[in-house]
Amino acid sequence: MERWKQYGALGALFAVALAAGLWGFRATGGALPWAKRSARALQRGGSEGGGSLVDLGRGIVVAGPIRKGGLVVEFLGLVVLLLVVGVALYVYAGRRPGGAA
Amino acid sequence: MAHIHLGEGSFPLWALALWTLVGAGLIGVVTYRIRKGGIETQQIALAGIGAAASFAVFQLNLPVWGGIHMNLTGLVGILAGPALGALIALVVNVFSAALGHGAVGLLGANTLVNASEAVVAYYAFRTLVRMDWDTFPASAGAATVGLSTGAVLMGVIIVVSGVNGSALPRADLTVAVAGLVGLNLGVAVVEGLLTGFVVQFLASVRPDLLALADRGDDAAGVTA
Repeated sequence: MERWKQYGALGALFAVALAAGLWGFRATGGALPWAKRSARALQRGGSEGGGSLVDLGRGIVVAGPIRKGGLVVEFLGLVVLLLVVGVALYVYAGRRPGGAA
Repeated sequence: MAHIHLGEGSFPLWALALWTLVGAGLIGVVTYRIRKGGIETQQIALAGIGAAASFAVFQLNLPVWGGIHMNLTGLVGILAGPALGALIALVVNVFSAALGHGAVGLLGANTLVNASEAVVAYYAFRTLVRMDWDTFPASAGAATVGLSTGAVLMGVIIVVSGVNGSALPRADLTVAVAGLVGLNLGVAVVEGLLTGFVVQFLASVRPDLLALADRGDDAAGVTA
């Protein structure tokens, strides 16, 4: 394909994406609300990740919205379901011809 | 680039289960295909390098447009292929969530978003190369299209799921999320250009890594 067509198409793609970006920048209030949240998430990760890798005293912490929303039973059910599916897949993979286990 | 930064418990339980199952299904299919088809040694090396680069750049909050981070998933997809690209998306998200960057409960959704970027970028790049595009416009365009796909998918996932505790009606949430998607499309241009330069350089010094050894258009000018 001729080079001017390639770069013309690329330029058009960039123009559309940049126009969308400019609109998004304005529509989100200068992107600051999301940016602040993102920055907080990164900083929180840094501060909370600074402890020991294994902390038996901390126990298992279920996220607040699940705990406070009364969804702990449903959450545990989902965890058990995923565990059962995982074990079943492991056993299946080991028994099928050519399986690794 | 596209990455859902909402905290734990932001999505309703059904949505969390849905995206986790779809994400696990995608990883299952990819793992099965890799197991059946096998992978070449150099692809494993590229995948390792891609995962490390993607993870590192994931954590860098750039002070552009209020604060963004890049993913390099388009580059990863072009270099490592769609299957390994999807696995790299999972690995990078697991490590990022372990640092508090992205919720653990949203691993399925975020893996889908980032895997879609790698997969679409790969196939777009291959299509453009078949159409006899030069390496730079092909890789820059493919990465931009891939990253834009991920941004749109991210918006769809958030709007379909809804956000627990949000005071915004669904229509207002859609508008707010559309703004975020638009913002990501703009940033996709920056990452697309970066990807274009990296792939162009790699095509110049090691065209075999990109399966471009039979193309002679980029081989001149740079030697390793």
